[in-house]
Amino acid sequence: MRSYIKLTREDRIVNATVTIFGILAFLATFYPLYYLLIYSLNDPVDAAGGQLYWFPRQFTFDNYAVIFRDEQLLNSFLLTVARTALGTLTGVLFTAMGAYALSKSRLVFRKTYSMIGLVTMYVSGGLIPTYLLLQKLHLLNTFWVYIIPSLFNIFNALLFMAFFRQLPEELEESAKVDGSGDFYIFARIILPLSKPVLATVALFVAVNHWNDWFSSAYFVSNQQLWTLPTIIVRMLSDTAIIENMQSLPPNMRMDPLSTLMAIKYATLIVTVLPITLVYPFIQKYFVQGMMVGAIKA
Amino acid sequence: MKEAMATPNKQGGGTWKKLKSQWTLQLMILPCIAFLIVFAYIPLAGNIIAFQNFKITSGFTGSDFVGLSHFAEMLRDPTFHQAMKNTVLLSLLYLLVVFPMPLLFALLINEIPFRRFRKLVQTTSYLPHFIAFAMVASMWIILLDPKGLVNETMQLLHLIRHPIEFWTEPGLFRPLSTLISIWKETGWGAIIFLAAIAGIQPDLYEAAMIDGAGRIKRILHITLPNLIPLFAMLFILKAGTLFTGNLDHSILLGNSFNKDTSYVIEYYSLQMGLELTRYSYATAVSSFQALMSLLLVLFANWFSGRVSGNRLF
Repeated sequence: MRSYIKLTREDRIVNATVTIFGILAFLATFYPLYYLLIYSLNDPVDAAGGQLYWFPRQFTFDNYAVIFRDEQLLNSFLLTVARTALGTLTGVLFTAMGAYALSKSRLVFRKTYSMIGLVTMYVSGGLIPTYLLLQKLHLLNTFWVYIIPSLFNIFNALLFMAFFRQLPEELEESAKVDGSGDFYIFARIILPLSKPVLATVALFVAVNHWNDWFSSAYFVSNQQLWTLPTIIVRMLSDTAIIENMQSLPPNMRMDPLSTLMAIKYATLIVTVLPITLVYPFIQKYFVQGMMVGAIKA
Repeated sequence: MKEAMATPNKQGGGTWKKLKSQWTLQLMILPCIAFLIVFAYIPLAGNIIAFQNFKITSGFTGSDFVGLSHFAEMLRDPTFHQAMKNTVLLSLLYLLVVFPMPLLFALLINEIPFRRFRKLVQTTSYLPHFIAFAMVASMWIILLDPKGLVNETMQLLHLIRHPIEFWTEPGLFRPLSTLISIWKETGWGAIIFLAAIAGIQPDLYEAAMIDGAGRIKRILHITLPNLIPLFAMLFILKAGTLFTGNLDHSILLGNSFNKDTSYVIEYYSLQMGLELTRYSYATAVSSFQALMSLLLVLFANWFSGRVSGNRLF
C-alpha cells in the first residue's frame, strides 16, 4: 500500500528516526551480550587494560578452562537439565489432562472446579506459609521441590482449554461410538493433535525451570542440589572464584583481580549462551503462545 | 416423569448417574483440584499464623493467639516503613517509566519501513526476557563495576573524570533498577501491542491519508487510540502490584551499601521469616501486603471504569 504513494518529507524524517531508533535498540540489546563474549575470550590482563570493544585482542580459552574444571558447575548443569526435562514433561501433561477435563461442558461440578481455579489467579498464599507447607511435606532440600509444586499452572491450563475448545466435537463422538474411554481419547487422539499448544506451553514451562534461581536459593540448602542460576550467582562471588584459581596457569595467577573479572565474564557467557543459541529457533512459539494467552485473557 | 423429578434436586439421580458415567473424566481433573487445594488454598489458610505466635513444634492449633500484635509491631518498625517507601517508589517508577515503554517501542518499531530489519530488531528485543534474571543482574553488576565497560566508556568520552560507584550509591539504585527493567522487558511487552497494531484495519489509514493526515498524525489518531484500551487493561493488572515490588531486584541487585533504597517489603518479610525464623511476624507482613494489593486492584478497576469505561471485572 505504502509503496504506491510518494514519500513526503515527513515520511522520510519519520523513517529515518525510527530506523536509527531500531539500530540503537538492537545495539542496546545485543552489545552487552557481545561484550561479555569478547571479554571472556580475551587474555585477562590485557582485557583489564581496557578499550576492548569489537574483537578479542589476545585470544584465549583459558578463562573457560577454569570454569569447566569446576565439578560443581558440571554437576549443576546436569541437574538443571534433569529438572527441566522432568519438570516440563510432568507439568505439561498434568496441566493438559486437567485442562482437557475442564474443557468438557458435560463435566459435573465444572463451575465449581473453574471457580476453585480462578480464585487462585487473584490470591496467592504467600511465601512463608508455602515454605512451611513444603517443610511439612518434606519437599525441602530434595530434588522434588522443583517438580511437585510446578505440576499445575492455571494460566497454562487456560491456554490448553482455549486450544481444546477449537477441536471438533466429532472426534470425541466417533471415538465414543467405538467405545473409547475419556482418558484414552485424551491420550491417543487429543494430545497428538495438540502439538502446537503442547510445544508452546512446554517452552514456557521449560524456560521457567531453567531460569529459576529462587527455589535453589531458599528451598534447598544442599549445594549439590542447586540448579544452574543459583550456582552461577554463587560462583560469581569473589570468594568462590578465588578458590578455583589455584589451578590456573602462572601468568593468570599474577594478576588475580583481572583474572577474576575475566572468569566472571566467561561464566556469564556459559550460562547465557544456551538460551541465546536456541532462541532464534523457538522464539516464534513463545510469541504465538503469548498472543493466544493474551487474547483469551 | 423421572426427568422432572431429577432436575430440581441437584443431588438427585440424574447427577449421580452422569457422574458415574464420566468417572474417568473426573479422575483427570481431581489431581489438579487436589493440587490446588494443597499448594494454593492451604498456604492461603496458613496465613492464620499472622495472628498467632507460631511455633513449628506446636503447629497451627497449638500456638497461642496474639491477635493483631504482629501488625502493631510491624507498623512501629522503622525498617518496615523504609521498605514500604522503597517498594512504593520503585513500583511507581516502574508503572510510570518502565510500563509505557513497550507501547512506545511498538509504535516506533512498527514504523520502520524495512521489513526484515524491523523483524530483526523485534526478535532480538525480546531475547533479554528469556535470560534468567539472576544472569541479567550479574551481567549488569559486572558491566557497571567501577572498572567495567560503562565507566570505562564514559571516562573515554570525558563524561566523567572518576568512575561512578553505581552499585554502592543508594541514590542510584532506583534509576538502575528501572533501566534494567526496561532493558529486560520492553521487547517482550511490545509483542502484544504489535499484534494489536496488526489488527487495525488498513482502511482507516487510507481514509486518513486521503483526508490529508500526515504520518505522525496517523500514528497519533489511529494507531495510538486503538492501543489505549489494551494499555488500560494491562495497566490495571500491573497497578495491583504497587505494594509488591520486585524481590529479584532487591536481592540480586541490592547489597548492604544501597540497602536504604533497595530493600523492599517482600525481602523484609522473607528475611524475617526464612532467616530469622519469625514465621508469624513475616506472615503478618506479607498478608498485609497481599491485602493492600487486592484492594488496589479492585480500586484500579473501579477507577478505570469511571474514567475510560475500560474495566477488567
